[in-house]
Amino acid sequence: MDLDFSKEQVEFREQVRTWLEENAPREIRPEMGPAMREYDLAWQRTQWEGGWAGISWPQEYGGRGLSLLQQLIWFEEYGRAGLPGIDACFVGLSHAGPTLMTRASEEQKTYHLARILRGEVIWCQGFSEPDAGSDLAALRTRARIEGDELVVSGQKIWTSFATLADWQELLVRTDPEGSRHHGISWVICDMHSPGIEVRGIETIEGGAEFCEVFYDDVRIPLENVVGGLNKGWSVAMSTLSFERGTAFTANQVRLASTVEKLIDLAKERTGPDGRRPAIADDEIARRLATARAEVASLRAMTYAGISRNMHRDQPGPEGSMVKLFYSDVAKKVYRLAFDLLGADALRFVSRWEPGGWSGNYLYSYSVSIGGGTSEVQRNIIGDRVLGLPR
Amino acid sequence: MDLLPTPGQMEIASLAADFFGNELPISVIRERRDEPVVVDRRVWSESAELGLFGLGIAEELGGAGCELAEETLLFREMGRRLVPGPFLPTVLGARVAALAGQHETASAILSGKAAVGLALRRGPDGFDAATTPSTLDGRFQLLDAADSRYVLLLDPAGAALVETAALTDVHSEPAIDPGIRLAEARADAVPIIAWVSTQEEPIRLRALVLTAAMSVGIAEATRDLSTEHAKVRVQFGRPIGVNQAIKHACADMAVRAEAALSQVLFAAICVQDGRADAEFQALAAKSVAGRFAVENASATIQVHGGMGYTFEHDSHLFLKRAHVLEHLLGEPADHLARLVAQPAAQ
Ligand SMILES: Cc1cc2nc3c(=O)[nH]c(=O)nc-3n(C[C@H](O)[C@H](O)[C@H](O)COP(=O)(O)OP(=O)(O)OC[C@H]3O[C@@H](n4cnc5c(N)ncnc54)[C@H](O)[C@@H]3O)c2cc1C
Repeated sequence: MDLDFSKEQVEFREQVRTWLEENAPREIRPEMGPAMREYDLAWQRTQWEGGWAGISWPQEYGGRGLSLLQQLIWFEEYGRAGLPGIDACFVGLSHAGPTLMTRASEEQKTYHLARILRGEVIWCQGFSEPDAGSDLAALRTRARIEGDELVVSGQKIWTSFATLADWQELLVRTDPEGSRHHGISWVICDMHSPGIEVRGIETIEGGAEFCEVFYDDVRIPLENVVGGLNKGWSVAMSTLSFERGTAFTANQVRLASTVEKLIDLAKERTGPDGRRPAIADDEIARRLATARAEVASLRAMTYAGISRNMHRDQPGPEGSMVKLFYSDVAKKVYRLAFDLLGADALRFVSRWEPGGWSGNYLYSYSVSIGGGTSEVQRNIIGDRVLGLPR
Repeated sequence: MDLLPTPGQMEIASLAADFFGNELPISVIRERRDEPVVVDRRVWSESAELGLFGLGIAEELGGAGCELAEETLLFREMGRRLVPGPFLPTVLGARVAALAGQHETASAILSGKAAVGLALRRGPDGFDAATTPSTLDGRFQLLDAADSRYVLLLDPAGAALVETAALTDVHSEPAIDPGIRLAEARADAVPIIAWVSTQEEPIRLRALVLTAAMSVGIAEATRDLSTEHAKVRVQFGRPIGVNQAIKHACADMAVRAEAALSQVLFAAICVQDGRADAEFQALAAKSVAGRFAVENASATIQVHGGMGYTFEHDSHLFLKRAHVLEHLLGEPADHLARLVAQPAAQ
């Protein structure tokens, strides 16, 4: 039990901090469209050129080959610097990348991994369908085999950034006879292929990253299957465990700094009695203190998770506990921000702008849905962490 | 950085766990509910022989030379097993005596000859941080002081040890938790026999962490009790744990236990290392663990149905102890007020 970082790790943190100060983008991130794509890719490219891309990825795939702890340090400093999320690059860096590293062929790895790190491509995730959300194994998007190609027909939904993406991690049914979990394949799909149509869906915060994707006889080379034909379910499960793993650290650090900003805000703003600062109100002060205690625990949980992962290869089901706790705490924190503003909260300010509390409040409703709903996380914890009967 | 206990640290905890399992199983609380003390002198001396009271005290002061981390794991084990008796004030009291240079008192405590009860001040905190107090005054609620030679008071300014016999108006009160003994007492210019100020040693932060560690143990034990019951209790032809109302209650318990455990281990290290945000982390640990222990224990009664409402079952003992721990060393609202006033975490 220790919280000591070695001299080398402390120096590493200093380097990260200095580098981020000097190189982080200063312009406000465009909210949507090709400008956002360019912004996110340019920033990823800058990180690559600075030698900061893929910190814990093996060197042979263009990574730095450093430890999980250094990856943690990077995410901590990244969150602390108040930088925007890795949004459009998220699927490539935190989903597809780690999945390819553990499950793909050498050719697939060589082709894709470095492109992700160099900020050349955007990936998206084509898992959910209109009739297969929480019940992912109910997916029906069909891929028949013709020669050395898959021919895909069907529909995906809630695909974030599909309008901007180059590649997609796509789950399709390759064997219609197989039972629910068999006969699914995890496929690398070129989003520029003929037969793909993408339509945007507006979100409750006015965001435009959500999409529907339609596939009409889309041809994908068979060699783009990852982890074996009809064996995509286990590949998908490892993708999701990566999503619930360390990739979360930056969000959690950002949440901690959000709570600190709220405490400052509560000292400046007049509280509900119209006379004293908000922090003088006992209820607000207690909610802020509780938020502090809970984000501290969230960080400690992340540390505990990383400590566990240092002793094994693949993250375990405990990641669901961090995800669930994060969702609960984040929703409480943004609701608190909203309450703190009183009637001023009714003025909409996007979460990408300074003081974007109302935008963030609306956004917070997505955290207990995306990446597996909180109810599904509770099922996973019940079944796989506690071993309860199904 | 590695937040998880090492195998060596787990071994210390499991040795203690075995001892508690043999000598102080939870049933002792029920068996001795009408006795003036819950832990008899024989078991108390054996605890001393095992070195439980001085685990975190330096060897040159008569302890085992371990750190707060090991003590934290020990108290987590006590929470899990609802170990009764004045372990917390005794461990801290030995430390106060040793650090204050009262070596005879320290060795009496460490050897098990003298136990230390806990005094909770009624009314505002009394000591002035700037001066060294020589006497104690005021009204106090006493915990497990019945057979204790000393009582320990933990104020924000520092920790004081006094002789129990010097207190007046002592009368016992019925306690909600049959595993503790409550009394009310007064002190009129009672001499302080050992004093350690907060500047010299963060005894109160240690106390917060160790109390939180016991709460963690309760959060974990109730999670396990509920999960086990959810697996074996059959209704409508299937184990009740297949129902999400029960499964999700258990999952929430698992998350609370994990969050509380992680934060308590984190805080233990921060206090042990004297980090600048030690107080922040200890208050966060106390607040989260205290509340989550109560929530897990409450949910456990519900998961057990009618059986959970009986005196015979352990659920209520966990709930009652969780409430006791939540009110130790200041009220939850007081801890939150202190936490929000801290500078940001490191
Ligand atoms: C911001 C955001 C981004 C997303 N990005 C992507 C993406 O890029 N790619 C992608 O593939 N998907 C994406 N999703 C989709 C997301 O994975 C799904 O929304 C999610 O899995 C839930 O599926 P659903 O929307 O069909 O809801 P449903 O599964 O229909 O759930 C509706 C409600 O029923 C509950 N429920 C369902 N089944 C159970 C059960 N067994 N037990 C208890 N309760 C249950 C759910 O918890 C929920 O409350 C995104 C979602 C959001 C919000």
